[in-house]
Amino acid sequence: MLSRVADAVYWMGRYLERSENITRLLLVTEDFSTETQGLAEQVAQSAWKDLLAVFPSAQVAPPTSAFAPMSQAYLVGFFLDPGNQYSVHYSLRKARENARSVREALTVEAFLTINETFRTLDAHSRRGLTDPTALRDALSATQKGLFATIGAIAHTFGRDESWLFLKLGESLERAYRTALVLRAKLPALGGSEPRADVALYYTQWRTLLRALGSLENYRRAYGARLEPDLVVPFLLFDPHSPRSLRYGAEAVKDYLQRLAGEPGPALRLMGRLHAELSYHDGGAAAGAEQVAFLDRVVDTLSQAHDALGVQYFAT
Amino acid sequence: MYAGAPMKWVPETIAYDETFDRSATARPHYRPLVATLESFTLAEIDRRERLQKLALVDQGITFTVYGEKDGIERIFPFDFVPRIIPAREWERIEAGLIQRVRALNLFIDDVYQDQRCLKDGIIPPELVLSRREYKRELLHVTPPRQIYTHVVGTDIIRNDKGEYLVLEDNCRCPSGVSYVLENRNLLHRVFPEFFTRYPVRPVREYPRLLLDTLLWAAPRASENPVAVVLTPGIHNSAYFEHSFLAREMGAYLVEGRDLIVEDSYVYMRTTGGRQRVDVIYRRVDEEFLDPLAFRRDSMLGVPGLVNVYREGNVAIANALGAGVADDKAVYAYMPALIKYYLDEEPLLGQVPTYVGLRKDDFAYMRDNLSKLVVKTTGDSGGYNMLMGPFATRKEIEAYLAQMKRAPGGYIGQPLIELSSHPTYVDGRFEPRRIDLRPFILYGETIRVLPGGLTRVALRQGSYVVNSSQGGGSKDTWVLAARGA
Repeated sequence: MLSRVADAVYWMGRYLERSENITRLLLVTEDFSTETQGLAEQVAQSAWKDLLAVFPSAQVAPPTSAFAPMSQAYLVGFFLDPGNQYSVHYSLRKARENARSVREALTVEAFLTINETFRTLDAHSRRGLTDPTALRDALSATQKGLFATIGAIAHTFGRDESWLFLKLGESLERAYRTALVLRAKLPALGGSEPRADVALYYTQWRTLLRALGSLENYRRAYGARLEPDLVVPFLLFDPHSPRSLRYGAEAVKDYLQRLAGEPGPALRLMGRLHAELSYHDGGAAAGAEQVAFLDRVVDTLSQAHDALGVQYFAT
Repeated sequence: MYAGAPMKWVPETIAYDETFDRSATARPHYRPLVATLESFTLAEIDRRERLQKLALVDQGITFTVYGEKDGIERIFPFDFVPRIIPAREWERIEAGLIQRVRALNLFIDDVYQDQRCLKDGIIPPELVLSRREYKRELLHVTPPRQIYTHVVGTDIIRNDKGEYLVLEDNCRCPSGVSYVLENRNLLHRVFPEFFTRYPVRPVREYPRLLLDTLLWAAPRASENPVAVVLTPGIHNSAYFEHSFLAREMGAYLVEGRDLIVEDSYVYMRTTGGRQRVDVIYRRVDEEFLDPLAFRRDSMLGVPGLVNVYREGNVAIANALGAGVADDKAVYAYMPALIKYYLDEEPLLGQVPTYVGLRKDDFAYMRDNLSKLVVKTTGDSGGYNMLMGPFATRKEIEAYLAQMKRAPGGYIGQPLIELSSHPTYVDGRFEPRRIDLRPFILYGETIRVLPGGLTRVALRQGSYVVNSSQGGGSKDTWVLAARGA
């Protein structure tokens, strides 16, 4: 396929995944911050600050009234602000722009759903939505629209190169953000022991699982027990959970493998990373090694991104 | 508006009304449609119209308006009252168009080969050879199968007697066919009732016919030739159409930067390396196609493309240099050219045309500007024209001063009362002027898509139907012959 089109489809995959990721993180963090704001304001505050580490945005705007919940400014900034390059609005607009520039490589169903989802979101942004409940409703509606788009793609795309590049973008973005979320959250969480406030402690672990769309999958594997030494390996090494690092690395590796041509540096990087995540001895999951390990994962994924660009897009 | 609105119809213009005769009786082929429309309440019609507007936006069926900062994507207004052409009328149009396109192609071929028509004095040489569209460097270059005009869009109007007249031929990259297909889809969805009583000939075949036409022109026809659609990119006003046609044909949509010339062949850059291209359906202006041959500042073209074309290693549709034939002054000579090449009488009439290049014609134009529509030969899209009957004395004088500087650059025509058609405007049915652009494909045979783009001037009293000037479009029905 045309290199330019492959590039656009890859970025469409990345931006779609990013939109869904931000949407979910906002919904989950909003929930958490409303629950904890009165109990432990610092904890709620740092949950939002962590978001800035995952999506390095500019400062978000101040709240509109003294009674506004803490989440309001973050919701507006990360959901509707067209100027924030890690807002849902910005990401979905980019996904749609990429889709529009290569419409001939997509299916009508995929384009229609993404177009509609963006237009609805854009209308919210133009209206300048600030009411917290309205924001939540709009977020949920956007999430549904994104799922409809992803479903339309899954149901209508031929499994050809377009599909592979789209999924490559999606899986790389997902693994990359998962690694960043873990990198931002684990050091603070892992260092603390269940203190006086046991309920809050477990709420934080549960929120982490929800933030990574993994709570239900985790429960199916381990039941309702939220033990850190089960949760961390689950998020890093579980072979079946679609948002574990291992699963993500495997997906990226698989899509690269299925693309025609000589195996390039991107595939070598991802093959090694996947092997490491598959045949780990558990050491990377805890202690001092954890941070260095997560840094290496983030680094490898961004190297893989650069390498595949050189191989496929700059021909 | 039609007197006694909303559902009583008496045309008040002097134009020929497509639907009603002078006594306000529906013409036979419009009767079922009028009856169906009258069975709706106005509220229901309003609801359907809103539905239709929404569908256009949702599907991203848009065109780009130049020079507007805000909301550069706009929908092309669609009017749901279809234009109906009976089978017998269409047969005559079709035969006339096929004849015309044959003659156009022979004319272009002649201009780039022996130039017999110039030597025999059929058309003044300076009129052809001095034009920018005439490419001297392509003299004696023959495109595959000697086809120059793969896709032609010929604009047809009806005068006050209802006669079909050719107004203009577009031999370079006529656009609008995607709206022909999308308008039909839209009408199916919004007013399925309309279709129950008419044998409407389908238009869906067009992309397949176009692909056949392109592949027929391929220089290496036997070995799975590759055809691509070349677009200037997403900011072009017709980008939706480029993308639409590529998608419907299953062809690559490429931009200039996707193509590269190497060793006298054209390749495209793909994820698997370079792949050879045989046919380019170019929707880029000729002047921008190759910075080495034409405009040097072009960022949209492919350096070296013209050389590959001269070597016969790539086909370009429409052929380079085909623009000599759709000049507004050449138009005046079309009846003579048809006779000259085909030894036939023209089957379709056309508008009497005064050519500024001829001294007598120019004198007539000068003295009768207030009765004439004057156009420059170089422009299209309704730009830079003088509508004499509607112009002020001052405007006419200014235009005349401009004409005197380059008389050869102007043609004049009497104002034709374009036919009118009921059109839904602001909650009422009103007569609005229309024209018709059928699409003709020149492949193994010459075929005319049964339908075409009916453009409608949405402004009251306006004669200008171009989308850039506030025009909209209608679904165009060609009826199948009963019992055929």
